[in-house]
Amino acid sequence: MPKLLACYKWTLNEQDIKINPADLSLDSSRAKGKISDFDRNAIEEASLIVEKQGGTVDALSYGTPAVKQSLKDALSRGPNKVYWVGDASAENADAFVTANVLAAAIRKIGSYDFIFCGEGSTDMFYQQTGPRLAQLLGLPCISYVEKLEIEGDVLKATRKLGDCLEQVNVKAPAVVSVLSEINKPRIPTLKQVLGAAKKPNEEIKVSDLGLTPAQLSPKAVRKGARGFVMNRKNVIYKESDASANVAKLAASLAAEGLR
Amino acid sequence: MSIYLTEEQELIGKNAQGFAKENLDPIVVELDHTGNYPADVVKKMAEQDFMGLFLPAEFGGAEAGYVSFVEVIENLSRSCPAAASIVVNHSLAVYAIQRWGTAAQKKEYLPSLASGKTLGAFAIFENGPTPGVGPDALMAVKKAEGWVLNGTKTYVRNAGKADVYVVLACSDPAAGAKALTAFIVSSKAAGLTVGEPKETMGLKGCPVADLNFENVMLAETAVLGAVTEGPELVAETLAVAAIAEAAQTVGIGQAAVEHAAAYSKSRVQFGRPIATLQAIQTLLAETATDCHMARLGIRYAAELLDNGEPFQVEAAMVKQFLARLHSKMLLDTVQVEGGFGYSEFMPLPRLFRDIAGTTLLDAPADFPDKTIAAALLA
Amino acid sequence: MPGIIVFSEDGALAQQLLTPALELKKTLAQPVAAITIDENTAKTLATLGADSVVLLKAEKATPEALAPEIADFCARESAAVVLIGGTQRGKHVAAQIAAKLQAGLTTDAKTLAVAGNTLQCTRILYAGLAICEEELQLPAVATIPARTFLAPAASGSAASIETLEVKPDTRITVDSSTPIGTSGVDITAAHKLVSVGRGFRKKEDLKLAEELAAALDAEISCTRGIAEDEHWLPLERYIGISGQIVKPDLYLATGLSGQVQHMVGCRESKVIVAINNDERAPIFEAADYGIVGDLYQVLPLLTAALKN
Repeated sequence: MPKLLACYKWTLNEQDIKINPADLSLDSSRAKGKISDFDRNAIEEASLIVEKQGGTVDALSYGTPAVKQSLKDALSRGPNKVYWVGDASAENADAFVTANVLAAAIRKIGSYDFIFCGEGSTDMFYQQTGPRLAQLLGLPCISYVEKLEIEGDVLKATRKLGDCLEQVNVKAPAVVSVLSEINKPRIPTLKQVLGAAKKPNEEIKVSDLGLTPAQLSPKAVRKGARGFVMNRKNVIYKESDASANVAKLAASLAAEGLR
Repeated sequence: MSIYLTEEQELIGKNAQGFAKENLDPIVVELDHTGNYPADVVKKMAEQDFMGLFLPAEFGGAEAGYVSFVEVIENLSRSCPAAASIVVNHSLAVYAIQRWGTAAQKKEYLPSLASGKTLGAFAIFENGPTPGVGPDALMAVKKAEGWVLNGTKTYVRNAGKADVYVVLACSDPAAGAKALTAFIVSSKAAGLTVGEPKETMGLKGCPVADLNFENVMLAETAVLGAVTEGPELVAETLAVAAIAEAAQTVGIGQAAVEHAAAYSKSRVQFGRPIATLQAIQTLLAETATDCHMARLGIRYAAELLDNGEPFQVEAAMVKQFLARLHSKMLLDTVQVEGGFGYSEFMPLPRLFRDIAGTTLLDAPADFPDKTIAAALLA
Repeated sequence: MPGIIVFSEDGALAQQLLTPALELKKTLAQPVAAITIDENTAKTLATLGADSVVLLKAEKATPEALAPEIADFCARESAAVVLIGGTQRGKHVAAQIAAKLQAGLTTDAKTLAVAGNTLQCTRILYAGLAICEEELQLPAVATIPARTFLAPAASGSAASIETLEVKPDTRITVDSSTPIGTSGVDITAAHKLVSVGRGFRKKEDLKLAEELAAALDAEISCTRGIAEDEHWLPLERYIGISGQIVKPDLYLATGLSGQVQHMVGCRESKVIVAINNDERAPIFEAADYGIVGDLYQVLPLLTAALKN
């Protein structure tokens, strides 16, 4: 009966972010929040295990105060309880800060058999939180997991390391970060959404975590961001005669030294 | 009333949108071509708790309220209005039984309707000018053993797939439509047959057929509500239908305007996207505004229902508003897309045919105006 | 005391990392140490300008075994900048090194430069929608994807090679390791690619693209759907944000619409050409040249024209 924790990030939906054509600045004023996609896989995997073999799953998130909007969403996906740290420091937090906060929160909450994270968040995609968290907690970490099982206190995983698939085992406690291919998160039913209101959530204040200001200051600071815009020649041949188009393209390729 | 949705209602709407994208988008074109009842998808909708959405938990319902109901219906309709129609028409039977049923009737029918194990339908219309008048009218005659029903109900949606029909029959030929009585009829009732499936202009996949009654015997316990309560039951249930179908209409309109907007950004003519042309912007803006305004009216009417307040005038208003605008919305978005918009491989022609079904049916054309005027002139 | 440390378990990538390392050396004026896991790579690195080379000998080069050893090395040598090859192993190792050093880590850095006591990097955000600049206090760690840089030329001298034994992490046991089947072709090394998408109606029709590729001396690549859903081509041929990232001289996209998730994988190609019958397809905005037309008609004509 494993005791599981799933960590998630409340991110802006990157599909709602617009680029200002004038100066390529980013406009996220209309972007809605969502639980980062790969974190949904992490929550789902933990929930599936608990449904199958018993145990409990809690959720934990560190974000700005807006993270409160994520609580019912998270609880509707299976966890029994959600812990949250909603603090302005999250606005500019990098993975260094995030891992510090999550590790301190977990030390405060108590021990878990296995801690699940997504491979990376959909907005920043740092792909660091899982391994960093494990390092800070002194736990082993299995990353890039596409399949896993828990038998007793052993987690058996298949990790995808680019050029090979490895079958690995690790004894509790450990941290696991999962790939999106590990499962397809189910859509919560109406009853699950409405049931979320009855489940507990607990705020943890940053000031109660015993972190120094240095631990809450990002080491990687974002200096600026601008939309990526393609500047291509856009020479498109669209006459009704395909042969004519082909002749022109062949000539263009030759001019570029490509044929 | 709050203009804003609660957290739960927002989540429910978002999840319904995700459900529609995952399960309805892939089947919608084929469903429109074949009209084959999408049993798999109906099962999945039941698993999401859509079939007992506003029922109390004691009957297995989700108790999600009517605002959630219209959020779900609109989001389903943005992808597949036909699938939403199945849920809407099932929900009318559910509403009627929940509202007028005896404790025994509710216990017998509601749990399996809520779980989706059984499908409901609501049969009101006939070939004659009003129910209870004409040679085919469904007449109910009181006997010692119960009631005997003879006649035909037409254009019953979900007919043939439904297990439970809420049916309006005339119990006094002299009084005609004023003497309607509601009955709960099982699809297995002896003497009940379903006519040939009708091929409709749109909403294909939602079954439509006639119900033929030949000496169908019903016990006294089949009467839903008081014997004389039929007309009230019809008016109120059709008001719920008006709200739900308005949500379908707005869903279709929203899908159309978003498609047309995306199209106008990429369609380049005379060196620039047509989205930059004033004429195009006007067509898009009017459609988007009509949807937005209607949505708020629908939400308001749904909230009145949630609060147990009178809602029929407000329901009539959203129906009337959309009846005036729905064809404009689709004509305008087709206009934006030009030749492409008119082509069958694009979604707009199908949406056009679907929207005709969601706004016009289920009530005589003058019903909304009469209801609204009656309230003003009282 | 090397201040700039590079590591990759991938030999080619380790060599490529020397290029930005040597560039940073000009500003930081600190020696470069290159770490790798196989002997031949170590010998090559020693001749490419590294001031010292470390060969890690491990029974199994798992990320959990490598991370503590490399982290300890960086701490001992008071590293200022650590550059790690951006493979999965590399990213895992980099995160744990950064945690141990209490340092910032830029993932998938596209550019790097030192300014004062900081490392300035750029990387993509929001699934390819944007680029951002990150400033990291030193010591800083960065992972760099393969082929962001070319390996440097030989330096003419040979650095010393030190060998370190790597102890396994006994907390994790590896039962088996299966190579992921590759067809042997590394499309990321191809100079020209003909890429296919859902515009092709059946698998047999890919022949049209193959003939065009042959005429161009190009390799075949595809969109995610063709590999993952249709299984018409192996997974290592699919281009996209979660697949391969390529930068060929020519990327010829046929019958694919050009969604952002796909374009992130190929948008730094030198020349992009698009063939699609839908003139509103996003690929045309991303293309230098293109033809609006039916690929079933255009491809054979183009193949013939190129053969002449």
